[in-house]
Amino acid sequence: MNERELLEAVGRLPKSIEPPRDLWPGIAARLGRRWQRWYWLPLAAAAALAAVLIGRGGDRGAWPVTWLAGAGPASLRVGEWVETDASSRALISVGRIGQVEVRPRTRIQLLVAHSDEHRLALAHGAIAAQVDTIPRLFFVETPVGTAVDLGCAYTLEMDSLGNGLLHVTAGEVEFEGRGVQVRVPMGAVVVTRAGAGPGIPYVEDAPEGLRRALAASDVRGALAAARPDDGISLWHLLQRVDATQRGAVYDRLTALVPPPEGVTRAAALALDRTALDAYWTHIQRILFRKGILRGVRDIDPRTGTRMR
Amino acid sequence: MYALCLRLTGDAGAAEERTQDVFVRAWDKLRSFRGESLFSSWLHRLAVNVVMNERRTTIRREQRVTPVAAPEVLERGHGEPTIGLGIDLERAIAALPEGAREVFVLYDIEGYSHAEIGEMTGIAEGTSKAQLFRARHLLREKLDR
Repeated sequence: MNERELLEAVGRLPKSIEPPRDLWPGIAARLGRRWQRWYWLPLAAAAALAAVLIGRGGDRGAWPVTWLAGAGPASLRVGEWVETDASSRALISVGRIGQVEVRPRTRIQLLVAHSDEHRLALAHGAIAAQVDTIPRLFFVETPVGTAVDLGCAYTLEMDSLGNGLLHVTAGEVEFEGRGVQVRVPMGAVVVTRAGAGPGIPYVEDAPEGLRRALAASDVRGALAAARPDDGISLWHLLQRVDATQRGAVYDRLTALVPPPEGVTRAAALALDRTALDAYWTHIQRILFRKGILRGVRDIDPRTGTRMR
Repeated sequence: MYALCLRLTGDAGAAEERTQDVFVRAWDKLRSFRGESLFSSWLHRLAVNVVMNERRTTIRREQRVTPVAAPEVLERGHGEPTIGLGIDLERAIAALPEGAREVFVLYDIEGYSHAEIGEMTGIAEGTSKAQLFRARHLLREKLDR
């Protein structure tokens, strides 16, 4: 065998090899153990220590602004604005933790520049944010609520009244406004409406019928249109409907995505935080697994296990 | 992912463990994915790092020339049916010395450059080239038998 024949043989090797057993239960168990333990406690303690050591003024200086198209100020200080016209775009460095691309026709202001709080205000327009840090260090205020970074990448576009769209491309974002809080994981979007705050998040490929029903607050329509992939929508819907409808939403959710061990109907209907958080983690893990194995393996959206 | 771990470790049991490590690690590091590359590329690179880190932190065993624990698992590939030579080749790759196997898998199968392999495994580019030469030579010798 010469070298060419060897390389041709290498080229014919299978790209994928199936493990002899499903590895997901082991992965899920390990993730579960870490989650249940005080997973965030050391991180939070480290962050707090870092904040003390660095000092609250660590990032108080100006944030550099790079103009990708057009021209404008080279830095941004607290209270100052960056504004783009129809053809300009800029890149703002968010302290030491990330960056925000300011897209055309956008107006944005720096509100807080501390090492433990990075806060911008989006008056109108569109931004793409990428942040790499522990959760809840980066915030973007909008006319209708605040996007709270939980370690992620996302785009946010909004008009000056608060009509807009948040699309998360990595990690997770929390959006809170008008007394409503939603969680938007990777691959999901949420629409905001002036005066109404965030709607109910849905996955990128959610059926049109579900989107319409959610926008119209048509609970029965939403339940009918939801698929197992739409667990995040029903999880949110459960907390938005009144007590008389909650049972129907819960039953539909559990039919589509069976709850994890320990989550009871009574606890969920009582909106018990621990139960809802456990259910959320379960749904999010399934989404995560589906996302990373897209195109590689078909994953059952009800359980997160491999489709047989 | 399992295929990569299996070929890098040459051991089915270790490959299962590393595959699980990769997904747990991916979950932890998801927020560091910046969308600057394909997610699959990011995950792939993460997998290589997980395998290499594990190797570094484990007490180095004697240079192994150990066949896979269960060679039949190599016959369960997707896509084109694996012809006999493919199975022989998989076995031969698994039996390569550790360093040669890693470089061969990363360069010839996964398509990384010698510079990238050097960065991931902590060896010099020249060493990577030498290991590749050695791996190819050993494979040809073995498959010619």
